[in-house]
Amino acid sequence: MSDQSGTIPGAAGKLLHMIGPVLGLVLVIAIFAAIPPHHGITLLQLQTILVHTVGVGIVALGMTVVIAGGGIDLSVGSTVALCGVVAAVVLDRGHGLPAAISAAIFTGVLCGAYNGLLITLLRLPPFIATLGTLGFYRGVAKWIAGSSPVSPDTLYGLDALVLPTPPAEFSWLGVAPSVWLMLILACAVAITIRATVFGRRVLAVGGNETAARYAGISLARVKVQSYILLGGFAGLAGVLQMARLTQGDPTVSAGLELDVIAAVVIGGASLAGGSASIAGTLCGALMMAYLVNRCTLHEWQQFVQQMIVGHIIIAAVAFDLLRRRRG
Amino acid sequence: MNTCASGSTTPSRRLAPGLQTLLAIGAAMVASAGLWGCGKQETPAPDKKATSGPVAQDAPGEKVLKIAVVPKGTTHDFWKSIHAGAIKAQRELGNVEVTFRGPEREDDRQQQVNLVQNLTSSGTSAIVLAPLDETALAGPVRQATAAGIPVVIIDSGLKAQVGKDFVSFIATDNYKGGAMAGEKMVELVGGKGKVLILRYQEGSASTAQREQGFIDAVGKAGGIELVDPKRYAGATRATAQEAAENLLLAGNDYAGIYCPNESSTFGMLLAIRGKGLAGKVKFVGFDASPGLVEALGKGEIDALVVQNPMRMGYLGVMTAARHIRGEKVEELIDTGVVLITKDTMNTPESKELLAPDLESYLGGR
Repeated sequence: MSDQSGTIPGAAGKLLHMIGPVLGLVLVIAIFAAIPPHHGITLLQLQTILVHTVGVGIVALGMTVVIAGGGIDLSVGSTVALCGVVAAVVLDRGHGLPAAISAAIFTGVLCGAYNGLLITLLRLPPFIATLGTLGFYRGVAKWIAGSSPVSPDTLYGLDALVLPTPPAEFSWLGVAPSVWLMLILACAVAITIRATVFGRRVLAVGGNETAARYAGISLARVKVQSYILLGGFAGLAGVLQMARLTQGDPTVSAGLELDVIAAVVIGGASLAGGSASIAGTLCGALMMAYLVNRCTLHEWQQFVQQMIVGHIIIAAVAFDLLRRRRG
Repeated sequence: MNTCASGSTTPSRRLAPGLQTLLAIGAAMVASAGLWGCGKQETPAPDKKATSGPVAQDAPGEKVLKIAVVPKGTTHDFWKSIHAGAIKAQRELGNVEVTFRGPEREDDRQQQVNLVQNLTSSGTSAIVLAPLDETALAGPVRQATAAGIPVVIIDSGLKAQVGKDFVSFIATDNYKGGAMAGEKMVELVGGKGKVLILRYQEGSASTAQREQGFIDAVGKAGGIELVDPKRYAGATRATAQEAAENLLLAGNDYAGIYCPNESSTFGMLLAIRGKGLAGKVKFVGFDASPGLVEALGKGEIDALVVQNPMRMGYLGVMTAARHIRGEKVEELIDTGVVLITKDTMNTPESKELLAPDLESYLGGR
């Protein structure tokens, strides 16, 4: 069942799996373009949609690795909030931007390590372990923040880097620097999955755990590493979320985990593990931000948008299953 | 989901050092959180007895009343003001113990229902409740009243009978507040142009009235094209910011913008700042927080309609205590709304509403 490790024969099936999410995205864009009054897409709209993709997108990159390894992490929304609060508190105390970003990412790594150790040492199902830490990290975030948003006096210009329109000195980038950061990380994760020993092991563990163990792979180590990776990404997403709001809000990103998992699933990953597509995941995240934007543009009410997003998830997975059966 | 096997070594031997690592990380996280948390507690809690007046003498034999204040959420400044008002009442009354506990997110109806039911079964003397939903909380409130626990409703309406299902309704006249915002908007934009409204959340009664009051006032003036795409800001500032950014992409030529509560106003403020519209588009918001007051001073916000949450919390606890003592209480109490602009924001009356001295009541919490 693992495409990336090359166990499925059939080049056509493999190609379809890789470009399926892209086709889906193109289809959604085409459908919306066909609906009168035929809104085109302006640069500013594209910039805004991409900035709205970043939060879900960066976390979804890490989540793709965890899901590929047969795991899941429900605590990411709380981790993002906690890391955002940590960054805001460090800034508020005047320790500067590098310290704030490091502290936030380190907090995310700790959260990921804790998740991974709960899963491997106590042998808890990932769903249960991270359901527990979902509450724990949210509680810690509120505790540190004193239950109200922490507003640092200055963000040292970080807030300008996450606006839809990039600041003048970065206008040559075309889109916000945070969008480029997401794309660079996506390339790095894609290479990690395809070309490193760690990536191969993740896919092997997710594809067939018993076989992976007999092949001499340390399951615990691979799993803990993948949760740490996700935690670090959530920490970074927390910093960016804090920059967007110009404050560390302990209640932010509740329910983010569902958007993230939806993006990964729309992107063609199987929740059973063993397969991953970074390009697909990004398409999934982009598709959701695009939908919200278009529904607003068409002056459709919020419930319409929720009904559509629900069925995009269903359609994406149904399509993927159909392809697998044929392959 | 797959369970993890630990390989060929015996589980117990491998588990022990592993568990130590696990515990060490857990302890480190708690400890580091504690370091940050402790910083918040530098100001010692003021001695309640020392600051309360002569009425505060605990009459021997008289039972201490436990009054539970249940807000809609605990993170917004608005609820902190309510808390401060409740503490003020506690200090004046003396023989009252106020607890303050609410759902952490302002859209978690289920958590608030459970909270009210738990309070009902735990022997609280009275409940002061700001219902998250006018229907969902009606049942639990009737149950509390039936169990002999008086309920005072604050802030938002409840679909139940005042005087029978609950004791008293103490709130802002939200419709009037919305109408004041609407009249100010008409004046600001000179009676013409497009005016955008970002709604707050489906099913929230108080903000729906503020939206309706605004819409009616703007409609009455004529000449203004009201743009109401029925888009909702959602529960947090982050959701409000994204909704606002999307709305400003759909249309850009607004003369004025209105938002009906703190989080939607803050999210919209960030969005118009990002688009370089701050100070150019006329912007009327609702409620106050340090960030919004700063924006009012800078001219990014033209007017804020503010309520008197401290008075609401104060009267909530006072009314509950009076009712328990058998005194007659009013069924409907309006705590008033004021429209504050840059010109009026530095008067003593405005300052008390915009930046109430919460520290003296909540210091150290």
